[in-house]
Amino acid sequence: MSHHDEHSPRVLKHPLISRLFHWGLIFGFLPAALTGFFIWLKPFGEDLQNLIMQIHIVGACILTISCILYTIFGLDRIVAFVRRIFTWDKRDTAWMLVFGGYPQKMLLGKTIPVPPMGKMNSGQKQMGIMMLFGGIILIVTGWSLYAFLPVAPKAVMYWFDMLHLVIGIFLGLCLFAHIFLGVYNWGEFLCMFGDGTQPLHEAEHHNPVWVANEIEPVKGDQTVRPGSQQAG
Amino acid sequence: MARYDYVEKAVKVSRREFLGIVGVAGAILWTGAYVATDLVHDRNKYIKMRAQGIYKDDKKSKVRQSHNNQAVTDMYKKFAHNPLSHLAEELFHTKYVNRTRLV
Amino acid sequence: MKGFQSQELTRIIDIDRKLCKGCDSCKAFCPSEAIEGKYGAVHRVDNEKCIFCGQCLVNCPFGVPQDTVDAVDQVISKLRDKQATVVGTIAPAVRVAIGEEFGMEPGSLVTEKLYGALKQAGFKVLDTNFTADQTIMEEGMELIGKIRHFALGEQAEHVGPLPQFTSCCPAWIRYAELYCPELLPHMSSAKSPMMMAGPLTKTYGAAEVWKVKPEDIFMVGIMPCTAKKFEASRPEFNSAARYWQTQGRSGDYPDIDVVLTTRDLAELFRRLNVDFETVAEFSDKDNPLAQYSGAGTIFGNTGGVMEAALRTAYFVITGTELDVLEFTPVRGLQGVKEASVTMKDAKTGKEVTLKVAVAHGIKQNVKPLLDEVKAGTSPYHFIEVMNCPGGCVNGGGQPINPMGTSWLDKAKAVLPWS
Repeated sequence: MSHHDEHSPRVLKHPLISRLFHWGLIFGFLPAALTGFFIWLKPFGEDLQNLIMQIHIVGACILTISCILYTIFGLDRIVAFVRRIFTWDKRDTAWMLVFGGYPQKMLLGKTIPVPPMGKMNSGQKQMGIMMLFGGIILIVTGWSLYAFLPVAPKAVMYWFDMLHLVIGIFLGLCLFAHIFLGVYNWGEFLCMFGDGTQPLHEAEHHNPVWVANEIEPVKGDQTVRPGSQQAG
Repeated sequence: MARYDYVEKAVKVSRREFLGIVGVAGAILWTGAYVATDLVHDRNKYIKMRAQGIYKDDKKSKVRQSHNNQAVTDMYKKFAHNPLSHLAEELFHTKYVNRTRLV
Repeated sequence: MKGFQSQELTRIIDIDRKLCKGCDSCKAFCPSEAIEGKYGAVHRVDNEKCIFCGQCLVNCPFGVPQDTVDAVDQVISKLRDKQATVVGTIAPAVRVAIGEEFGMEPGSLVTEKLYGALKQAGFKVLDTNFTADQTIMEEGMELIGKIRHFALGEQAEHVGPLPQFTSCCPAWIRYAELYCPELLPHMSSAKSPMMMAGPLTKTYGAAEVWKVKPEDIFMVGIMPCTAKKFEASRPEFNSAARYWQTQGRSGDYPDIDVVLTTRDLAELFRRLNVDFETVAEFSDKDNPLAQYSGAGTIFGNTGGVMEAALRTAYFVITGTELDVLEFTPVRGLQGVKEASVTMKDAKTGKEVTLKVAVAHGIKQNVKPLLDEVKAGTSPYHFIEVMNCPGGCVNGGGQPINPMGTSWLDKAKAVLPWS
């Protein structure tokens, strides 16, 4: 028996460009969100608050550059993402009403039936909408506040700051939920942080509609089976 | 090398959809830039409006020069004698302080 | 604290530690780098450097700097005191901005409404524009004396050097006293119009116009300016009391008792239930101390003092009035404006060209002019300096305009870091 056991088919769920963007978010959005809380609360002394603000700006730069690069090099992924997050039907309503079965599983150990989901479940779609709009607003308001304070109308800056704070707090909290759920769903974690592939049966369990309708076998034999040899 | 047997079907964007996206994105960005540059351009407008109010006060005044203000002339006649007089120096002139020497 | 005389106010602008976001916006407007605190951390004002101009206050998007000198209650109690005669002196810039506190457009000229509201509240009025005219007479004759000496070769004693700087902006005065005291001999010896109004009220006003005892007068400066609160507190400004002492009356009191900003005055009207929008207008035309010329009122704008001075200097030197009274080269928001006027001296028949400069926005614009004067290479005879961009109409005591800022320079990105 080869050390790969029986070869179970795998599906590419997150291509390289998406995984790279995800890393960009980790090095950009995550430090910005964390430092953002401390910029708001200002519990520390002058030098540390200044350093925190500098980290916030560096994180914002990384976030902004990641978004720009993803738009240039991963436009098809963005189109697919936007189409998915805005496609809702009755199954999504039903999924939302039971919170996808997660609280029941986590708190009561009970597995309840949930409607079949596509590549993104309803909760992820909702998160996607919030992140898309919220992220754009944070980026626009954030750069305005950083670069244009003396020349911009004061009332506009006041409301930009208020928006930036409220959306920042909200998305920051969502981010902690996202990280928690990402770790809880260890298979997904390994997929996103690994090579982007997942066993097909795992994808069939979580994303049956996607597996049934949106994937296809890889053209040509691109897999290398251990021990196999090309004929002739 | 990543090993996988299935892959997502290619994303297709029709020409019409693409133009629609670019059109809407362009409209939003253009409007935003227009509004923003207008707001920044008008940031001093309130100063200019107040200044115009002052110049309006000047234009509608019956007397436009300080030396023709009869009430001021009367005050000098009745009280301070003339500009730079001894009394004027006492009441209306001052000396300044080198604050770098003040402890 | 260094750099203060006894009795002077040592703190006017205070940054609220609970509200400050450390955004560095205030630092972009401070002319004397008096605000400390790294980017992202809570800021604070260094009062030894602060010139009290209030530009940080009117430009902070979050309303964080506070004017800590609040005399509204004190004025109200004096207005109710039957023994006291409360006289208000109103700067030109107040009458085109106070309407904003009551929903009107910036620049609404509401002089008669203002007089009516003041009357209803119980004030008598000595318009600062009257003493602005008087300042032109005093400072103008001082300048003409120097010009006659330096440019026309007349003999003169005790004449200060040229160029002469205007002295009506108290933030500019404190700036010069702190940062370039070697230029003080160039400063006009004339007081500002507000500081002339104080002694005038408590001498001429008391004796001739209102016929009350000078010590019973409570003099209130109503100004677009926070630095005027500092100016009024200067210990040397008790000229009226010292005058009366030479006349046999005892008593010591300041020339200006308290200063209210335009915002403070609006607050006073609200507390006294004076409805500014519906108040009866009052022209006060029987009051000689409320009569002013157009030259006096333009003191509120950058270039206004210069234009007023030129209208009179031209007449005094040539004996004829200017054909066109609007002197456009000194008007507008350009940082440094210059002009020259060639006149034929009526007394000697000689030609003299008066070269003048107008600077506003000390932070951005004044340094090159000052360096020239220090080096002895300044081509100007007379230089008007106003600290606030645009002049007093954009002073630190004016209503805060939410859609505007004082940034006059090219719009650019400021990228604070430390």
